[in-house]
Amino acid sequence: MTEPGTRKTTIIQDTTRSAALVALFSGILAIAVGYGAAFLPGGTPDWAPWLLAVGIPVALGAMMILGAARGRVGIGPLKYAFAFVVAVLAIGFCAALALPATESPLSKLWLGLPARAAIVIYGIGLLPIIVLPVAYALTFETQTLNAEDVERVRELARENRARSESQTS
Amino acid sequence: MTPGLPVPNLLLQAALPSAARPAVVAVGVIYFAVVVAISVWAARKTRTASDFFVAGKGIGLIALTVASVSVSVSGFAFIGGPGFIYAVGLGAMYIVLPAAVTNVMGAWVLAKRMRLLGEARNLITVPDAIGARYRSPAAQGLAAIAMLVGIVGYMATNALAMGVVINSIFGMGLGWGIWIGMGVTLAYSASGGILAGIYNDVFQGTLMAIASVLVFLFVLGFGGGLGEISRTILAQDPSFLGPWGKLTPLAALSFFFVFSMGSLGQPQAVHKYYMLRDPLQLKWYPLLKTLGLVLVLLLYFGVGVGVKAFVLDGRLAPLASPDQATPSLLLNVTPIILAALVFSGVAAATMSAANSFINIGAAIVTHDLPVAFGRRVKDELRWGRAMTILIAVAAAITAQRSGTMVAFLGIFGWGLFASTLVPTLAVGLNWQGATREGAIASILTGLVITLALETAAYLKFFRFPAGVTASAVAMVSSFLVFFIVSWLTKRSAQSTIDPDVRLVMEL
Repeated sequence: MTEPGTRKTTIIQDTTRSAALVALFSGILAIAVGYGAAFLPGGTPDWAPWLLAVGIPVALGAMMILGAARGRVGIGPLKYAFAFVVAVLAIGFCAALALPATESPLSKLWLGLPARAAIVIYGIGLLPIIVLPVAYALTFETQTLNAEDVERVRELARENRARSESQTS
Repeated sequence: MTPGLPVPNLLLQAALPSAARPAVVAVGVIYFAVVVAISVWAARKTRTASDFFVAGKGIGLIALTVASVSVSVSGFAFIGGPGFIYAVGLGAMYIVLPAAVTNVMGAWVLAKRMRLLGEARNLITVPDAIGARYRSPAAQGLAAIAMLVGIVGYMATNALAMGVVINSIFGMGLGWGIWIGMGVTLAYSASGGILAGIYNDVFQGTLMAIASVLVFLFVLGFGGGLGEISRTILAQDPSFLGPWGKLTPLAALSFFFVFSMGSLGQPQAVHKYYMLRDPLQLKWYPLLKTLGLVLVLLLYFGVGVGVKAFVLDGRLAPLASPDQATPSLLLNVTPIILAALVFSGVAAATMSAANSFINIGAAIVTHDLPVAFGRRVKDELRWGRAMTILIAVAAAITAQRSGTMVAFLGIFGWGLFASTLVPTLAVGLNWQGATREGAIASILTGLVITLALETAAYLKFFRFPAGVTASAVAMVSSFLVFFIVSWLTKRSAQSTIDPDVRLVMEL
């Protein structure tokens, strides 16, 4: 159990989670504005999809950071994996929006697909698979969960059960 | 239903062509025999409510992973999905591309904390976690009601999907298909609970992965490789292979948002975190689940793109409807044994999803709702079995009688779970500043907006702009409400967290 004083300190110093919350809120807000713009009288403006193209990676990255942050340790080496994946998603979406439509029978194929499709399928769809689950496994004991953590929870559960049983009897 | 966006057939409802060939029927019979055998074994091992609802928290890593893959995809991955690609091109991939991040995101955001909460409090349901986090029976009850509304729709559509597939395999009529499919699912759900469900999911998920890989390889071989398939399509319909296919960028990105962030609120997947025998086995869970999903989704991409090319070059006749993409390929081109495997795989997918939702629905009625009203059911196992039967029968009757209403009920299930559960559960378990007022306001917002917008669109009172969906609007709104109300009521934030819950949140 954390002492109240320690708790306050932890909350104040938990800048990683605070930053993640601000980023999550900003990402969701950008997505909301993008959707809102679609209701404008002249139809969806050209800039609306760009808000989603940036807002979605930011919101997903922020959500992962929020989940992975561990007290004062923050996200440790996971910052590289998160930065990579947010960049891959944002660059992939923005490239798909920005690159001109040149698909034709003469298009150069990348692993069997035209360039913009290859960016989407292999970039957005496959690159994160190579990085994220491996980063999760490699940092699992230090960043996510170890035997000591599980034992602390079990110990507290035993104390709670004992207290509850003594109150009942 | 959302007129502004092309809506994929998320839960199989359109009639399939008859596949009643001896090989297909034989594989179907073998499939059902294996399901029955697993169920009999599981029934003997189910003795308590914990066994029934969370498999006694004793499932190993591989079984849990395969089962989780199995319930994540449903029949959509095999029929509706490839058909949607055939109709709108690569834009349909934005429904499945999020799988690259969702499994590991779920592991970081929810898996550890849910599993440890289960350890600390003996929790057995998703609303249990919400009740424990906010020390609020009201939030738990409200989440349970929202989930129940979503489950009613999912169950009816899954019952209909089972009927469609079983009728296609055995040729016995839609009504009989619904009742036989639901009867078998009910038999193993009521007798063996989630234990039967998990091990049937393992069998079904393995079948789906094998079928998917074989069909994908066959399509590549038949089409001369992905490059040749692409050349054929680019010659006649280049926009099909554009980055958004035939969708608008906003529509495609909207799919990505709803199916990535929304995955954190899908109870059939989240509920499984409780069941892992050893929390430390979570280490390999995201990697294994992601690889499993990639295998199962190969068919989605391969058939969707392949059939488009085969129709364009005249090797397949034009399809009567997009949902015919997979059946047309299987019944006209592939070896019949492959068709048999896939049809059994589709039946497996629908039964797997139905079983999960029956179990979760029964837990809500016998556990969460009584807890919300300050009561406990004395014999949760017996009542759980009774509710399982009731939910399954109600779903079968709804599927048989209510026609287009079933489609409407099924379509908002995913969005309803996402908008009501994601902020409250996924953010709430990771942010000590979240308050019970924020949670309750967020769940209510998701529930009301989803129901109001979907109903207005279904009744044609309202039409969304292209690319905007009720699910997306509801999820964004419930997020914003959750943040704003939590910040407005932040004084109460710390006082609503019990010490053991706080420890779980700080680890």
